[in-house]
Amino acid sequence: MSMRKRHQRIFACWLLACALISAGCAPDEGDPAAVVEQYLRAKVASDMNEMRGLLCAEMENLLERESRTFETVTNVEIQEMACERSGETTVSCSGTIVAAYGAENTEFPLTSYRVVREDDGWKWCGEA
Amino acid sequence: MVTERNRVGTWVRVRGSASDSAGEVDGWVLTGLLTLHPTLRLSQVPVNSELGDADLENIDDPELRRLYAVPVISRVSAQMQLVYQRGRLLGNDSRVVTKVGDSLTADPLYLTVLGREDNELGPFDFLVETMVFFGPQTGVESVAARVGMSTRVVFDPMWTRNALCEPNETPLACEYRLRRPSVALIMFGPNDVLHMDVDAFGSGLREIIEESIQLGVIPVLSTFSSHPESQVWEKTLAFNLTIVDVAEAYGVPLINLWSAARSLPNYGLEGDHVHMRHSGYRYLKFDIGNQARYGVSLRNFLSLRMLDEIRRTLGMS
Repeated sequence: MSMRKRHQRIFACWLLACALISAGCAPDEGDPAAVVEQYLRAKVASDMNEMRGLLCAEMENLLERESRTFETVTNVEIQEMACERSGETTVSCSGTIVAAYGAENTEFPLTSYRVVREDDGWKWCGEA
Repeated sequence: MVTERNRVGTWVRVRGSASDSAGEVDGWVLTGLLTLHPTLRLSQVPVNSELGDADLENIDDPELRRLYAVPVISRVSAQMQLVYQRGRLLGNDSRVVTKVGDSLTADPLYLTVLGREDNELGPFDFLVETMVFFGPQTGVESVAARVGMSTRVVFDPMWTRNALCEPNETPLACEYRLRRPSVALIMFGPNDVLHMDVDAFGSGLREIIEESIQLGVIPVLSTFSSHPESQVWEKTLAFNLTIVDVAEAYGVPLINLWSAARSLPNYGLEGDHVHMRHSGYRYLKFDIGNQARYGVSLRNFLSLRMLDEIRRTLGMS
């Protein structure tokens, strides 16, 4: 194999590796529904760090309130969540967040959410 | 015989000969603990406006003293006249009163019973007009009163549970938009005290007051009953004093439920030291003194009494 061909192969491998790495780093970039699901899971877990990276800039000042949505209830879990893109900046979800308050359950049905594109990724931005 | 009563109507002065002693009796007694003559009408009994709602003489603790000193039913300030007028211009309905709070407020036997036709007010005849005025509009469930609600999540759209509410609308904003109330009876604390510090609580309360005033809704705050054996007793005192401070700062009406409930069995509370005890009746039954025994009855009584104060002061008709 000539030196020239060897260099071409190395360059092609390098290009392929770069493409694979960049795709692996941002799997949700093109999937706002996945971002919404990720945000809702973080919210249920009161994971403020995770939520911070998924919340749009215009709602940043509400991060603390967002992370404390379920502070007065216990055993919070999402049941049968299924989200899909329903518009250019809208994701519609079915399913319910169920929580306990004392002996009784209280429910928070999932709804449609607004998403915006920021920092090369989709961000959750409240209800739509 | 009953010679006078306090401003709220919860205490009456009784004078007369005791059947089992030679002397005369003369003293103040909780109205609800007496078997009164069925024809007695408290509107005909002179009001002693000088009488305080609590005897502070033997209370040394400064926090307790401050809490006891707050009247059970406050006067209605001139600022509330302006709020009411703004509300009228915005299209609020004079006859609509709503409720805002946690499970104690969401209780289906709190406030909603004002509209029942089988209510028995007993000697409290002076409250009938107010009950007829506000009662018919009280049967609607409030979006802003829900189990687990707090001063924080009342601003969280995820807690809005009504198909008529708009996306991103908070429970408070939705309730005010849908109902257009002139008055909101607001009580937070029993739930908040378990989950936040007193500064966050005060901040949430102020936000509620400001939004209410801006929308022409008269916000009526209320202290909440607490039990000395509760693990958060000291914190409940601090929270209640914050409610008092916020009410004073904004000049909004205040019901001192905490103080009034001191004379009830178990402070008007259930065994969990949080929720208020029911009488078992699904309507108001003041003729047998339920308001002197059960927390929910007392709260209904004081709410009606405060609405009466507001209606008369502001000339609502």
